[in-house]
Amino acid sequence: MTNTKDAQSYKIGIFYHSIRLILAGVFIFASIDKILHPQAFAQAVFDYQVLPGSLINLVALILPWLELLVGASLLMNRWMSGAASIVTILISIFVGLIFFNLARGLDISCGCFSTDFDENPMTKLTMFRDILFLCLAFCLLILTIYKNNIRYKTQ
Amino acid sequence: MQRTVFQLHLNEIVRQAFFILFLSVVMGLVVNMIRPDSIPIIADWSTENRLTSESGETLIIPVLLAKALFEKNEAVFMDARDKNQFELGHIKGAKNLPWHSVDDYFMNIVQDLPNDKVIITYCDGESCDLSHNLALFLKKMGFNHVKILINGWSVWQEMNLPIEGSS
Repeated sequence: MTNTKDAQSYKIGIFYHSIRLILAGVFIFASIDKILHPQAFAQAVFDYQVLPGSLINLVALILPWLELLVGASLLMNRWMSGAASIVTILISIFVGLIFFNLARGLDISCGCFSTDFDENPMTKLTMFRDILFLCLAFCLLILTIYKNNIRYKTQ
Repeated sequence: MQRTVFQLHLNEIVRQAFFILFLSVVMGLVVNMIRPDSIPIIADWSTENRLTSESGETLIIPVLLAKALFEKNEAVFMDARDKNQFELGHIKGAKNLPWHSVDDYFMNIVQDLPNDKVIITYCDGESCDLSHNLALFLKKMGFNHVKILINGWSVWQEMNLPIEGSS
């Protein structure tokens, strides 16, 4: 009985750490080009045509650092409740924005991993990829809450 | 008990999320302050400002000037809308270079473009970006005399200037 339980928690642990590291890699990788090229990323944010002009640069300056710090938190397995929540919220917003802009036929750069349009056009594949990330993020959030639950009960 | 656990989760999520967000705001703003290629925190993203170069030269052309160039045959009008809309009606003599298929049309159109004339791009609607994108693309491709007639198709018709097309 105990062995079965241990095997189960071992599998959950492997799954949790795998998702954590995948999403950490995705978010850290996604942030670098945006941090290096703030003006180009501001243009990508503008192209989405959802924010008022006064917020475009502010978002272009803060969002890449949010991605980097969230990625670093996931990598270090620290502040996991906050990081997993932010990741889930961010990817949900990205999926919504991509769906919205594909539906209205905007031919723009995704701006997801690179600020270069040619490297990063927004397609249906972009949305499916982000939906996959969203599923992973949601799993990570659930698993984080599950682990915290055990911690609270033992305290 | 259930409520207490829920509150513990919520407190932890909110506390950590705000901490990460706060750190991101600080890092984003501080790094921007010290880097050489910093950008203003609040910028003017209006159409006029985006289409004005650092030297103050604007890409936007007023309709009266476009009309004068048209009458002197010193401009080539470039319709950035789709083929169907172009065929329904366009500025007389305009060429169709749909922004959404610019790669397919560009090589054919560019061969006939005279170097000595001003290229005026247009589409329809105040918020239509097709003409802006096309103009910036043409500038990037080496055409120096490029202008944009904002909301061109509508303002051209309002002034009863020459048009052609199936409708």
